Amino acid sequence: MGVIGLTVYFLMWPVLVGATLFVIARGFFKDWREARKNGESII
Amino acid sequence: MPPANEILQLGTVTVIVLLLVFYGGTMWMSVAISKRKENADNYMTAGGKIGFGVSAASMTATWIWASSMYASATAGYTYGISGPIHYGLWGALMILFIYPFGRRIRKVAPKAHTLAEVMYARHGRSSQLMLAGSNVVGSVISLTSNFIAGGALIAMLSPLNFGTGILIIAGGVLLYTLWSGFRASVLTDFAQVMAMLGAAAIIIPVIFFTAGGPSMFVDGASNLTPAQGNFFSSEAFMNQGAPYIAAVLAYAIGNQTIAQRLFAVRENLIKPTFVTATVGYGATVIGIGMVGVMALYLGISPLDGDVNNLIPQMAGTFLGPVLLGLAFLMIIGSLSSTADSDLSALSSIVMSDIYGQGKGRKRANPKTMLLIGRITMIVATAAGLFFATSQFNILDLLVFVGALWGCLVFPVIASFYWKKVTNMAFTVSVIAALVVFLPVRFELIPMEGAIAWAIEVLAIVGVGVVLGIMAFGFFGLKTAVVVGIVTTVGVSPFALDYLRDYTVLSASLVAYSVSFLVCYFMSFKSKQNFDFNIIKSVTGTFDNRAATSSAAAGATTAVNQKDKE
Repeated sequence: MGVIGLTVYFLMWPVLVGATLFVIARGFFKDWREARKNGESII
Repeated sequence: MPPANEILQLGTVTVIVLLLVFYGGTMWMSVAISKRKENADNYMTAGGKIGFGVSAASMTATWIWASSMYASATAGYTYGISGPIHYGLWGALMILFIYPFGRRIRKVAPKAHTLAEVMYARHGRSSQLMLAGSNVVGSVISLTSNFIAGGALIAMLSPLNFGTGILIIAGGVLLYTLWSGFRASVLTDFAQVMAMLGAAAIIIPVIFFTAGGPSMFVDGASNLTPAQGNFFSSEAFMNQGAPYIAAVLAYAIGNQTIAQRLFAVRENLIKPTFVTATVGYGATVIGIGMVGVMALYLGISPLDGDVNNLIPQMAGTFLGPVLLGLAFLMIIGSLSSTADSDLSALSSIVMSDIYGQGKGRKRANPKTMLLIGRITMIVATAAGLFFATSQFNILDLLVFVGALWGCLVFPVIASFYWKKVTNMAFTVSVIAALVVFLPVRFELIPMEGAIAWAIEVLAIVGVGVVLGIMAFGFFGLKTAVVVGIVTTVGVSPFALDYLRDYTVLSASLVAYSVSFLVCYFMSFKSKQNFDFNIIKSVTGTFDNRAATSSAAAGATTAVNQKDKE
């Protein structure tokens, strides 16, 4: 792996972390809205 | 930036404020969902109907703990650029490979609370207690490890000492988990995962560029050995990767925190939840591991010679006070989310497996059950604090217990699918595997001559069993048999006269093969034709009372008062 390859390899993980964070947060707020609509607690 | 041998510290006041914000916030969330009269089943599994967002956050937060961050960085520092992959990827697959089995378990036992409880319905008391016992040992070790990590972090980044640190962590976690149990654990996991993943996404690139960015790969290349610079290093694979691949199924089966989430999430959301958690865990832990690789490129020596200090040390060296505070919260979040899950797991095992099924589902008193769950949490916290101040090498102990769980994998999984597996086959196969595993693991028998060949043959069969079970989860029995046989035959020429040098790996593999061989040969001629519907009737709800929320209770009182008037 060259310098560019190593840089991509090191920095791809935080990008993937950010993407997962977005997916989980979106799921949580969808659950939250659904629970409120039904007058229930999210948990 | 401070000199290389000094790290930035957070002051006592800053650390206390950060801890108050963190534990105050989680306590507020816990109080917000608390009910005056909690329901015993909800205390253990939140009613089995939680949604994707909460469950994916909870599974991710539970599996990322302080030790996984430290161990990934250690792997990066020790084995070079492939080290974090050989730690984080296989750890992530532990979550992925359990979900096909999780769907089957939910199908046969939709309202169960623990895996051991299902074993009780399938086989009886001895199998249940074997699994529950191993779950308890694993959770107590994990709890202790998280207390130690918290105490060490507070001692390193502030003037407070280790003893004060572990007391703050233990007290904080116990306070917000005690009343609502698993419900509090999973909801606070969402906030903790936001803090953890958010911090990781910011901190990793900041350390990377502050430490010199891409130029470190040129300037520091001489600090790496050829093996450390090789992405396909066999040294990293054999010492770090292979033992973890062997442990993938063992940790997944042996850990009640995973089983609890399998029973808690809505059944149709098991797959997306566990796939998301796999990606979240893998990316975070591998990313944090890259900080260890950076330390290697930069030629940094771990503080006090302890590689567990690498993460706080790199954060203290390359981050300013604000981001250092964020890194502090990231590690506190990781250890708290796992510690609260361990407390919930331990309480559910004692509530369900020891009291509930011991008393009988119809006769168990839900109020007594809740009291037992809360007492268990207090006792477990005290035990964790006691072990945290003793001189055990707690992580070595966890690796050992993880390998021990390998003895249970085939008998447990086979019991969910195969009607012929008997209680005797389950018990004898686990004990036989233990009897072979222990002397190999601790090198009590010399690995030479005929014994070495026999152990190697068993270990090679173990490789086939591990990959066969993995294939079975996704593709069914025919594919699993083909994968198992092809793997065993394919690995043989390379592994014979070679595996004997890797004792830990051989012992883990032998645990799988012996339990498989004994369980299979004791079961395939058995006349048992188990009816899986029995499990549903044995593992139902314990508490049919409606939970009373504080607000609802207040409203009911007001209505009653009005009626009297």
